[in-house]
Amino acid sequence: MMRSVPIRILLGSCFLAAAMNLVHAQSTTPGGMPPPPGMSLAESTAMRFPQPVRVGDLLGREVLRPVESQDILGRVRGLVRDRDGRIVVVVDFGGFLGFGTRSIAVPVDAMVLLGQDMEIVAFTPEQLRQFPTFSPSGTTEVANDTIIKVGLAKPSH
Amino acid sequence: MRSPFRPDVVPDTAILADHKPLIRSLERRGLIRGSLSLGALVLLTGCDVKRPEAVESALLAISRLNDGVQALLFDPNRLAPTYPASTILRPPKFNAYYDVMDVKPVNGTTWRLEVSGRVADKRPWTLQDLRALPQTSMVIKHICVEGWSYIGGWSGPTLRAFLEHIGADLRAKYVAFKTADDYPSSIDMATALHPQTLLAIQYGGDTLADPFGFPVRLRMATKLGYKNPKWITAIEVTNTYPGGYWEEKGFPWFAGI
Repeated sequence: MMRSVPIRILLGSCFLAAAMNLVHAQSTTPGGMPPPPGMSLAESTAMRFPQPVRVGDLLGREVLRPVESQDILGRVRGLVRDRDGRIVVVVDFGGFLGFGTRSIAVPVDAMVLLGQDMEIVAFTPEQLRQFPTFSPSGTTEVANDTIIKVGLAKPSH
Repeated sequence: MRSPFRPDVVPDTAILADHKPLIRSLERRGLIRGSLSLGALVLLTGCDVKRPEAVESALLAISRLNDGVQALLFDPNRLAPTYPASTILRPPKFNAYYDVMDVKPVNGTTWRLEVSGRVADKRPWTLQDLRALPQTSMVIKHICVEGWSYIGGWSGPTLRAFLEHIGADLRAKYVAFKTADDYPSSIDMATALHPQTLLAIQYGGDTLADPFGFPVRLRMATKLGYKNPKWITAIEVTNTYPGGYWEEKGFPWFAGI
């Protein structure tokens, strides 16, 4: 969605010769840092100024890795409550060109909002590969109109 | 063939190598980089390319020229595109020069907006005062210099209404901002008076949330994202160039879209 830089900005940039000291435009500290060791996921979300968001607005969003290259890990397929009542995000994870994708359940507190995208900040791709494939039994779907709170991060690039 | 105009004594070619990182940092600006030969650098700097500051100031001079051209092209009556309210991204995208965990919320009850410079009434403002001014809403695109964008819905008094209310000298050159997160910024008066320049106190119909600049931030439809300071604490009307956080680091000052 709306990723492209408007041509006008590029044209404007042709004329300028600034930004000499910085390669990483807006970033002096990285965004989307993992929770510090020993901190629970809920505690780390509380530090990230969790904001209300409608569950239906999260469906289909790209899920990124919080690194400069912003690798796409998958897409949000849905949100469910697990057996313990915690909200988890079902992510269509991995694969290539739509083949080999499988669903995994990631606690919402392991994720942050990044504009139109989401990021998994608490688990590395290696850890996510070890996640079991999601099975809906014992879980309940979270209705689209539910408002939940999700933490924020600044862009990682 | 060797140029008949080649001088007997040429500058040391190592100078170009010295400045390679600087020139490489302009990689997205192919036009400029392509034209940054040793000869061009000499022309720009009056033959003094041995000092790195001289190269930087030459490039800054180009940036200032660019600012001037953009100011000339700016049409104070032309409106930037607006969008339907259904396209507002909720919540908006967080961005700052630090991560969200370092945001320091501002207490809206003790907060005051200081006013200084070329204005008649320098009384500080409360949030109630800002709410009492006529409110304007706009759904506009936030376009970041990094290449991303999103559509946001902002409400609050126009900066023009605010400046007229405090009896500001509307022929002054600059309006400068100070913020609680030490992110000074400044804009030209023409943009300050543009109808799509707001002192935003609401997002999507709700009070602005802490990470997005509560109690008040600037939102302009006609400039890049980094020109929109959040958590504003002071506004000054001045004829002295005030600069800004990224501008001091070499970002363009005008930054029009």
